[in-house]
Amino acid sequence: MNPETTLFLVNLLTAAVLLATPLLLAALGELVVEKSGVLNLGVEGMMLIGALFGYIAAYNFQTITCLEELIPGMCTKEQRVFTFPDYLLALVCAALAGAVLAALFGFLTQTLRANHVAVGLGLTILGAGLTNSLGSNFLGVNYTSVQVADHPEVFGQDILVWFSLVAVPVIWYALQKTRMGLVIRAVGENHDSAYALGYRVARIRFWCILFGGAMAGLAGAFIVLVHVDWKEGVTVGKGWLALALILFGTWKPLRVLCGAYIFGLLWASELRLDHLFPEYQLEWKTVLTTAPYIFTILVLVIISRNPRMIRQNAPASLGKPFNPPS
Amino acid sequence: MIHLELRQNSNWWTSLRSITLALLITAAFSIAVLFLMSDKPADAIWQMLTFPWQGRRMEVQFGLVLQQAAYLAVIAIGLSVGYRANIWNIGAEGQFAFGSIGAYAAYLLIGSPDAAWAFPVLLLAGIIGGCLWALIPAFLRVTCNTNELLTSLMLVYVASHLLTYLCIGPLKGDPKAGQAETYPIADSVQASKLISGTELHTGLIVLLVAFVILAAILLFTLLGYRLKVAQHTPRAERFAGFSPNNTVWLSFAISGAMAGLAGAVYLTAETGKLIQAENYLENFGFAAIIIAFLGRLHPLGILLAALMISYVNVGASYIQASLQVDDSVAELIEVVALFAFLGCAVLDQYKVKFKRTTVRAAT
Repeated sequence: MNPETTLFLVNLLTAAVLLATPLLLAALGELVVEKSGVLNLGVEGMMLIGALFGYIAAYNFQTITCLEELIPGMCTKEQRVFTFPDYLLALVCAALAGAVLAALFGFLTQTLRANHVAVGLGLTILGAGLTNSLGSNFLGVNYTSVQVADHPEVFGQDILVWFSLVAVPVIWYALQKTRMGLVIRAVGENHDSAYALGYRVARIRFWCILFGGAMAGLAGAFIVLVHVDWKEGVTVGKGWLALALILFGTWKPLRVLCGAYIFGLLWASELRLDHLFPEYQLEWKTVLTTAPYIFTILVLVIISRNPRMIRQNAPASLGKPFNPPS
Repeated sequence: MIHLELRQNSNWWTSLRSITLALLITAAFSIAVLFLMSDKPADAIWQMLTFPWQGRRMEVQFGLVLQQAAYLAVIAIGLSVGYRANIWNIGAEGQFAFGSIGAYAAYLLIGSPDAAWAFPVLLLAGIIGGCLWALIPAFLRVTCNTNELLTSLMLVYVASHLLTYLCIGPLKGDPKAGQAETYPIADSVQASKLISGTELHTGLIVLLVAFVILAAILLFTLLGYRLKVAQHTPRAERFAGFSPNNTVWLSFAISGAMAGLAGAVYLTAETGKLIQAENYLENFGFAAIIIAFLGRLHPLGILLAALMISYVNVGASYIQASLQVDDSVAELIEVVALFAFLGCAVLDQYKVKFKRTTVRAAT
């Protein structure tokens, strides 16, 4: 292989990892939520909140050292670095922010038994509104002056890449082989039976919702700390793609992993088709931006053409209202 | 802990109580938000409440409120048809965009005849455009059992990029304009002003008529009853001989048509041309989802909710101009209202009691 092709492939794979990891993180969190029978459509909103708070936390935690001070008190050349604990702290902030928003969803749907779909959509709109107003308050209207140091790497990749890959078998094991996983699945399959057995359905679901929110928060933080800088609506619908991924993976962690990387690869290669028609570049780019969404629709169509596959794997109580006898 | 007890009888009094409570919660949160986001919160609250009387011309501000409320109410009542039957069309934003594109395409076809029929033709084309775009998720749901919620949302992204593509590519207008846009449509096919000095125009009458017709259908005909059956007992719908697939087709066609009509009116009355998506689409399609739920999927409720939300929206942009408060305040108040209304709806069906939960042993 000539070096040019190798470089191209390496670039492609790097971009694929960058695009796949947030999808994988958010989808794994939502997978646990859906396994417990809750449909949280607010993934996009929780990702945005996680992204903003991760970015603000990282901005405040980074260590700035001055390299060159020509006039005293005026730094002309500075170096921004992350120590590893600081970076982890920023990620924890992002996860917490996602979980707080998820707690709101949990309170409304579990304690007050509101409609899952309506609250989830509201959560997405709330996430967008909050990040737009808070983002312009904290970071200024144009974010160019706000810079965050490069993320520290572990074995050549960001820590979250490894975390998301490790999370796949861990979540599979926890759901399939542990008592906790059995309880979660029982609540998701038939909440009435689980309630009759004495499990606190609402409480178990609440913890799953918090976990999903934290994972979505991490996914958002990955986008702004590793991939691109913060801007309004930085997640560009990735939260919704994560929801589609769960259908694609039929609620199985390993298939969700494969799906996330297939999406990532396709998205990355599509970003490299920019130069195919140089004379129509702007138009071509705009048309090409729709590709991930059209691809998602196609995948959903292919997956759901086989209704047995969905019906066998979908949690039976998914999104159904739970009214315990009192 | 909070403990819920099923209520035997729920009547208008319980509904009124929960709605009042929700309004109070919304008001409290709105005041808190304004305190956080403004330097002069007392001024901000006062101006937000009384902005039509603040400036010199009251009718201009009320005109703005009515104008926005009309778009929101028309899209929201269309969406409520599907939501009643648990069919989730959340892509009204894309159908709105295609309504505008359809109307513009019709304008390119017929040119600018100086005839009275030209304006209705544009609106009809908008309805068809929105309807066709909405029928894609319906088709996929009926034939392939695809989740209509995700597909309709994905199509919003596709539609908005297509709109931008049309503006920078095949329909590109004045290259000296600061944004990508098409050439404006002729004056003869634009909606005409009703009262000079305000934003009220003939397009709003069209929207109002569409709203009233659909509201009457939902409230007084067999079709409305059928959707009610589908909402409360999906199984009974099938036993009664109503086909669930037809409900999917119908609700998507209606919601798409309403959003498309709104898009066509928006093109002919507000902008007069297509503009790149970021500057053209004003999130009416998403705000309408909130309004459908705020109005509890009832036509009258939707009308009131649309008026309330557009009052908040116009008020927020007023205090942005006068007091430099970011107008995303409006978005936050909208969502707070949504959550308050959804949360308080529990009072309709349950009695809320505060007591210690008895410990139940998990076996």
